[in-house]
Amino acid sequence: MNARDFRPDIEGFPEIQGDIEVLRKYAVDYTTQKGRVTQIINMLHPKRMRLRVSEVRQETKTTKTFRLISPDAYLPPFQAGQYINLFVELGGIRTSRPYSISSPPNQTGYYDLTVRRVEDGFVSHYLLDEVRVGDEFESTSPAGNFSHNPLFHGHDLVFLAGGSGITPFISMIREVTDRGLGRNIHLIYGSQDPDDIIFREDLEDRSKRHDNLTVSMVVSNPPRGYPGFTGFITAQLMKEVLGDVSPKTFYLCGPEAMYTYCLKELEILGIPRRRRRTEVFGPPKDVMAQPGWPEGVSADASFKVKVKGRKDIRARAGEPLMISMERASIILPASCRSGECSLCRTKLISGKVFQPPGVKLRKSDRLYGYIHPCLAYPLEDCEIMI
Amino acid sequence: MSEYGVVVIGAGNGGLTSALTLARNGAKVLLLERHNIPGGCATSFIRGRFEFEVALHQLSGMGTEDRPGPLRGLLGELGVLDHLEFVEMKTLYRVVFPEKLDITLKAERQEAVEALKAKFPREGQAIERFFDLIYNFCREMVSMVFLHDPEASREKYPLYFKYALKSSQSILDEFFQDPSLKGVISTYWPYVGLPPRYIPFSDLAMLLWAYIEFKPFHVKGSSQAISNAILDAFIRAGGDVRFNCAAKKIIVYGAQVRGVITEEGDEVTTDYVVSNAGTLTTYVDLIDREHVPAEQFKALGRKTIGPSAFTVFLGFDCEPGDMGIEETTNFIGTSMDPERQYALWRTLENPEAALLSCYDVSDPEFSAPGTSQAALVSLQYAEPWLSIPPTRYNDAKYRYAQGMLDLAEKVFPGLSNHIEEAEVATPLTHMRYLAHPGGAIYGFDQYAKDSNLFEDRRSPIRGLFFAGAWVGPAGFQTTLASGVSAARAVLKSMTKR
Repeated sequence: MNARDFRPDIEGFPEIQGDIEVLRKYAVDYTTQKGRVTQIINMLHPKRMRLRVSEVRQETKTTKTFRLISPDAYLPPFQAGQYINLFVELGGIRTSRPYSISSPPNQTGYYDLTVRRVEDGFVSHYLLDEVRVGDEFESTSPAGNFSHNPLFHGHDLVFLAGGSGITPFISMIREVTDRGLGRNIHLIYGSQDPDDIIFREDLEDRSKRHDNLTVSMVVSNPPRGYPGFTGFITAQLMKEVLGDVSPKTFYLCGPEAMYTYCLKELEILGIPRRRRRTEVFGPPKDVMAQPGWPEGVSADASFKVKVKGRKDIRARAGEPLMISMERASIILPASCRSGECSLCRTKLISGKVFQPPGVKLRKSDRLYGYIHPCLAYPLEDCEIMI
Repeated sequence: MSEYGVVVIGAGNGGLTSALTLARNGAKVLLLERHNIPGGCATSFIRGRFEFEVALHQLSGMGTEDRPGPLRGLLGELGVLDHLEFVEMKTLYRVVFPEKLDITLKAERQEAVEALKAKFPREGQAIERFFDLIYNFCREMVSMVFLHDPEASREKYPLYFKYALKSSQSILDEFFQDPSLKGVISTYWPYVGLPPRYIPFSDLAMLLWAYIEFKPFHVKGSSQAISNAILDAFIRAGGDVRFNCAAKKIIVYGAQVRGVITEEGDEVTTDYVVSNAGTLTTYVDLIDREHVPAEQFKALGRKTIGPSAFTVFLGFDCEPGDMGIEETTNFIGTSMDPERQYALWRTLENPEAALLSCYDVSDPEFSAPGTSQAALVSLQYAEPWLSIPPTRYNDAKYRYAQGMLDLAEKVFPGLSNHIEEAEVATPLTHMRYLAHPGGAIYGFDQYAKDSNLFEDRRSPIRGLFFAGAWVGPAGFQTTLASGVSAARAVLKSMTKR
């Protein structure tokens, strides 16, 4: 039984109904909007991009820059310091690596990726030895939070770079100098020996031409009679070249060991947390040396990981789960591969994994057993759900 | 190819509760989510040592354990209440317009009335009468609308029939003189997304009454905790979920849902779809046009896409008190004129009003010890952002965010010196993560004409149901409830067959 329709008795009801009739006559045709959201978003953050190598430049003995253009003639914008995650297929294994873009965002026609050979690496050998002009890649769109944020970083910036950690900084330096932005940059760049210094000429040239850029090179393994700064980037050295450190924001990007070292030195200088920015740097070289690694589990221990609804795989304790899965052709979405972006977020149904302290897990994700497999190491047999 | 009883598209609030309700009632359910995490708006993200709440400012409808509200009841029925810890806020809001007005209203009727009378002594009687009206009106509305009185009539519910559809502004004008007083009482208008002139009195009255009666709440672990709790219960009830997997198409034959094709190209056979993707996206993007009656597009075409939001997420290296932040919910600004504020939502000019929510005030454990966070938000339509070339996007984003910070500085001087992390979300950010036209956070604009009094929201396609803000009022309480309603409608239809 239906109750009587009381609505027309509400004051104002008939008038609004009249309005609706008028509006229907002038209705928006939303069918013309089909695909529009995707179109708008793809201009800024496409899920995937195709890239083609247009140029390869040898930077140092161990480093090359790959200039990537878009076969579709459009590259989304990025913030200097951001990276893309480059997909590769090697020996039947599909994997990916994040690389900071070394060209500045004001160059909208290409992205440069500068890659240094990693001795025990997997992907860098392939990129340096095999990749030629014309080769095509797939990648994620630019991401990452290691960029200048004008809301709180201020105008006085100190970049502490180590080795190939120069790549996000060169993009920022090029942007600031190319565009004439009002930021002062002091780059302190540590390398092992003088031949290793990437972008040396470009840096020297720009610092000569721009008053707001100062470059201090530091070499840890100098040849006899080397005239410049030697050793590590110490508090002492920073005080010497920077003068008053109090208004400056410090950015840090380099090899793992440099973080431990330099963060302590910044501590000595009394730099508060809000004036320290660090870039993520992928899986640690030796996960067993991480604080919290349980005693009695060796990196070589191997466990069974059941991927619900898919298959069982073997996974080494000393290797991120994501890599073991890739070896078994189970591909997870990935972008940062450093525990930060949460794209690979996966539910751990049973078993235990080790996640290094820096992994950015949400509180409630931790509670419900979610892990970031790009930086999760199995400690026993596990079951996961992807 | 797989087969499911129901496919739920989208793991936002409505999709989640709908999936859970269906699974708990024995349906075989597949939940598809394009993002890597459940929640839609109800989510969080991490920068540095901060986990930022994305969307939840004040959860309505919870009520206390002794006096439970409808949302507490709903979460209890869903079996997730025990997995969540809610935090009551004692204050509705503080309204600060420097050199003009500074007033804090507690979430208690008498205290709120007294605070208003102390500030606006000449209008004391009108304030009393206005609160009487709100209370009597809402009592009628609860009994008639929410409890579905079959004998609803003008004689039985005179206040409802007189006031429900009136413009809120007209009632404020009828009762009060001082524009500041009208402003304070209608402070919540951005929660609806339209200035008081356009908001039916029933919406404004309900907002105020419900927040006072059931208190505003937040939740430990942010709104992500709610989303995760519901999803976990769904999985325990036997539901299947696929993340990073959007629905590409709903297959329809002869005006009947037959299946869903996923982004990965998998075809899933099903007779029922609950779409949490919004009516516009569903009819325009997911279903082939020949299967949607022209009448349906006509009905949608008389509606307009609602506002999105611009939020600056701030992580501080100090406690809220160190910056003078004493309340969780702070409506701040320089202009108290809602019409002016609303007009600015369609531009890239600096906003003159904003909401600053600092959850650490009510929940000192919200951020790490010695730190705190705030969401500084102004609503905004997406249009002005669509006219910016992509290469100028980042500059425009930071410029607007700086305008918001400057506004916050006027009320909380020195706040900028404590920023340890800052992230910005524009309407385009919302569009990216929600995939909603216009990055809309409330679905369609919620004029009086858009209430369910004026439309039949059942789909002409059999087996297609909707949950979420595009088919009802926005907000956590209502979207969570909408999913349960959609699930019940599906279950009823299944029984009939």
